[in-house]
Amino acid sequence: MCQLSWRSEPLISPVPEQFQSHIGNKQEISIPTSTDANTLTEIQKLAESVDSLKQSFEDHSYICSNQIATAVYLAYHLRKPVLIEGPPGVGKTELAKTTADMFQLPLIRLQCYEGLDEAKAIYEWKYGKQLLYTQVLKETLDEVLQGAQGFAESVNRLHEFGDIFFSQEFMEPRPLLKALQEEDGCVLLIDEVDKSDHEFESLLLEILSDFQVSIPEIGTVKARREPPMVFLTSNNTREISDALKRRCLHLYIPFPDMDLEQRIIHARVPEIPELLRKQLVAFIQELRDMDLKKVPAISETIDWARTLLLLHTESLDPDLVRETLNVILKFQEDIDNINTDIPSITNKAVNA
Amino acid sequence: MDRTLTSFIAALRTAEVRISPAETLDALSAVELTGYHDREFLKNTLALVLPKTIDEKETFDNTFEEFFKFNDITGQRKTDSEADESDQDSENSGEGTGQSQGLGANRGGRSSKAGAEEAGVIDDEDSTENLGPGPLAEPSSALGVLLMQNDRIELNVQVAGAAKVVKLEDIQVFTQKGLYTRRILEEMGLAELQREINSARTSEDLPVRRLGRELKHRQDWLREQVRDYVEKQFLLYADAHGFRLREELLRKVKLSNIEHRNFRLVQEIVYRMAKKLVALHSRRKKVYKRGVLNVSRTLRKNMSYDGNIFDLHWKSIKVDRPCVYAICDVSGSVSNYARFMLMFLYSLEEVMPKVRSFAFSSDLGEVTELFERNSLEDAIAKTLRDYGGGSTDYGQALIDFRKKCLSDIDNRTTVIILGDARNNYGEAHQQVLKELYEVSKRVIWLNPESRSTWNTGDAIMRKYTPYVHQAEECNSLIHLERVVGNLLRTVQ
Repeated sequence: MCQLSWRSEPLISPVPEQFQSHIGNKQEISIPTSTDANTLTEIQKLAESVDSLKQSFEDHSYICSNQIATAVYLAYHLRKPVLIEGPPGVGKTELAKTTADMFQLPLIRLQCYEGLDEAKAIYEWKYGKQLLYTQVLKETLDEVLQGAQGFAESVNRLHEFGDIFFSQEFMEPRPLLKALQEEDGCVLLIDEVDKSDHEFESLLLEILSDFQVSIPEIGTVKARREPPMVFLTSNNTREISDALKRRCLHLYIPFPDMDLEQRIIHARVPEIPELLRKQLVAFIQELRDMDLKKVPAISETIDWARTLLLLHTESLDPDLVRETLNVILKFQEDIDNINTDIPSITNKAVNA
Repeated sequence: MDRTLTSFIAALRTAEVRISPAETLDALSAVELTGYHDREFLKNTLALVLPKTIDEKETFDNTFEEFFKFNDITGQRKTDSEADESDQDSENSGEGTGQSQGLGANRGGRSSKAGAEEAGVIDDEDSTENLGPGPLAEPSSALGVLLMQNDRIELNVQVAGAAKVVKLEDIQVFTQKGLYTRRILEEMGLAELQREINSARTSEDLPVRRLGRELKHRQDWLREQVRDYVEKQFLLYADAHGFRLREELLRKVKLSNIEHRNFRLVQEIVYRMAKKLVALHSRRKKVYKRGVLNVSRTLRKNMSYDGNIFDLHWKSIKVDRPCVYAICDVSGSVSNYARFMLMFLYSLEEVMPKVRSFAFSSDLGEVTELFERNSLEDAIAKTLRDYGGGSTDYGQALIDFRKKCLSDIDNRTTVIILGDARNNYGEAHQQVLKELYEVSKRVIWLNPESRSTWNTGDAIMRKYTPYVHQAEECNSLIHLERVVGNLLRTVQ
């Protein structure tokens, strides 16, 4: 039950990171204290074999290859993070989301960008709260120090109170720390890790290999009972360092083949007639072989399928393709380039 | 089974997939989880743990197919040997017709063409003495028994075992193939079998003679099998080794001595070296300059500190990329060096600051555009065609260069001059170089000749060296790598 309440948390939705922190500020996080033994055994049952995982992914409308299912299987059993690479739009992020959905675990997402640092990724002190409390406590300071003789004794008295201002209560956990604090485990998605700086990669190393972070003022925070399942995605805008790669399973998701893509479309846009589905997938596959600035990805195929459905299309024809081409091709240059080829490609796709 | 995995990893390493010991451990624990029973599952598993780039994945696929092929063949063999068993059954029931024996020979031939030829020759030889169908005697040697049992799985296991004993994985060059084949066969007990065959063939007893003939066929078949096996192992372990040896050599050899047929390979090496340098230098430096205070950002950032401003933010200015000018002598004597240097510079596009290149033998011209518009190879060929061949005149080239771009050169520019400074006794015009020296950040002179000949004959390095920051001997890929590496360190 508590899983359900977690799912309604705004943190789960892909809200940009900077907004997440505000949301986190407003509401106290209720850490579920009762452990849900049912979910754990359920996860174990799901992750029993690659085939059961694959089936379960399919039930959640994520059609995956054996390779992908194997990756999740190994990630679960070996407790290793998965680094997912591949062209944009092949479902890298979707894989993490679906996994969270399938295992009924909360998804904690960290969107990487240039300049991301530990204050935004791991933790930050609640400066405002600290200031407020010092203001409030100023008055009581006299009481605390009452009767103290001299400076040394006053300082000693203060020491007795410990470092209250640098304790858990004044710490704002950011996605990475939050993921470690989840009692029943969670799915941690570190999205587009290649967009972050080199320094940030090094920051990740400790978490990825030992599921812990070191905070100077507090000490080492280790993962609770269940370490999170970690997915990192990369678009290959730059090489990820060997140190990071070494700690991860490396999964490359290529564009799907004709058969797999048809099944994906079938799962995602079930209303589309079979004939049209075949044709549009054939068309897209044809496009991927062409010399384009950006070849259409699966997400674009899905968009196109929805578009064609909306237009009550029965079958592809060159004019229709020309009109809706901007759904799948995102550069005017590409659109101009294939303009002359449209009839022949359409023909090929229709007859395929 | 762990040994299988480690030798697979060794094979991967020979194929230039970098695998650390930690990853080996990962692979072991992953395989412990998955087991060896499902080939595709095993492949998927290892593909996740071992290769970490797309290139490596491709190499991994090939190596995996190659490496675990042996097992695969055994799998096929299983059906094969089942067929054999039925063959043998018919042999036994029909008291071994000549046909079925012929089939046996064909079977050997099917495994390899060479075997078929050999078998054919022996058939001819044997046809002189028609043994006819009939019962076979029992073989006595261990290998003979094994061969007659036709248990190919066991045979394969024995081949692999013998290969381990003779340390087949140490094979290095292809000429060793025959040697290792022989050794493996000997390890399996070839000598004994040979003796048996010899004695059987000269025997009086007909079934024993038939046995001798049959054993001979099967021995030939086995030899083919072992040769195949050695071939495969050689490709797996040693071919890359030889390749690496050749590569190592090419890195050190003088660039002018590189033969044309090796250009392709050299280009690959250059590309790989460049990639290494790219990886080394792609760490983006923060290209921001501290300058003007960004007031609004600072205020915003310090709100959380109760408005106390102690975290300052600055307006950032992107620093322009510095420029590298490469001036290459493309006359006959130096053109090969120019080729490789240009290749190197342009392979580094990703991390190299803007490169402008110039070529001259007598007159100097800019070839930057050629490189922008054409592929590397074409551009180099065109440059050599257009500017090569004249008699070198360094003085004229320097004057031309000054005329063209002295005004573009500033204190962040690096000028690289590649040439042997053999000026055909012309005017040196070193004062032009002095001008360049004064306005640029660095002037580097790369001379393909060894230092001792820099001032012999018509070479006038001594006139130019006072006006360069650095003069280096540069005539092999290793030199080039060092120079360009240093260059990257200083220009970024």
